[in-house]
Amino acid sequence: MSLSDLVLSIADNKQMLGLRYAEWATRAPSLEADIAAAAMGLDDLGHSRVLYGCLEPLGADPRGPERETDPASLRALPYFDEPWSEWAQFVAANAILDTAFTVMVESCVSGSVEVLQHRLRKMLMEERYHFLHGRSWLRSGIDAVPLNRAWQEAVEWFGPADGEVASLHRDGRLSMGPAELLVRLEEQLEMKAPKLSIDWKQWDAIRRRSAPGAIDQSTFAMLRGLEEKKYAPSAVPKA
Amino acid sequence: MTYKRVSGDAVEYEVFARKTRGEPLHQVGSVVAPDDDLAMAYARATYDEERWCEMAIVRKENVIALWQPGEN
Repeated sequence: MSLSDLVLSIADNKQMLGLRYAEWATRAPSLEADIAAAAMGLDDLGHSRVLYGCLEPLGADPRGPERETDPASLRALPYFDEPWSEWAQFVAANAILDTAFTVMVESCVSGSVEVLQHRLRKMLMEERYHFLHGRSWLRSGIDAVPLNRAWQEAVEWFGPADGEVASLHRDGRLSMGPAELLVRLEEQLEMKAPKLSIDWKQWDAIRRRSAPGAIDQSTFAMLRGLEEKKYAPSAVPKA
Repeated sequence: MTYKRVSGDAVEYEVFARKTRGEPLHQVGSVVAPDDDLAMAYARATYDEERWCEMAIVRKENVIALWQPGEN
């Protein structure tokens, strides 16, 4: 695993976060929250494009042809595998996971890699409003189940104490390792993570998740443009 | 589940913005939110289509009217 793998993981997660946000653009509890869902979705989809664009300058693009056919080759967290059915799932992702991705982006911006320092800085300004939105809704009180799940997946995503993120932190390419990222996340949210039990032996270092699975087929087909083909006019055979 | 909003009833905020330093702030719209944080997020999401150099929100209840339409 390399810095490119980590950047690809941030990109894939932001892409899925953006899509899941956008699915709530007409289902949130108020018109303002609908608009915020749409705007945050656009932001995160844009951020994913910027992050994908950093892979080549980093020198190693880990994306292979399997991404065209295998949804399990994408590196998004299990939280995004299925569309959310409850507003509480939206809020937990908005507050915990979106902020977890932001603190990792902060760690890249404050690290020693120039392309990440420059290209990711603007994201932090836009993410401020995602954070305000998520924290405010979180304070209004949500179910514990999606909240605990989001914490679990955020901490798993930061990785083990002896993993690659820790190593990238030691050599200065990231300004924070897993422990510092968690502290920063807790400080931001002004709350502590619940007691978590993580079996790192089950953890996939490339996908940065423990649970197997992948995004739903319909979302995967949409990402690949396969859904669009259903509506394309049939090819007329040449006479 | 019923969501209890942070500060009780939602509050109306006026949104002000300007595109250049040379022009005055003017009202571009309003948002309804239960607290200042959410109002900032909503104002930015709703009125972000222009390239504003400054945006600010004010609780409508904090605006002191000197006179209203039809009073002068």
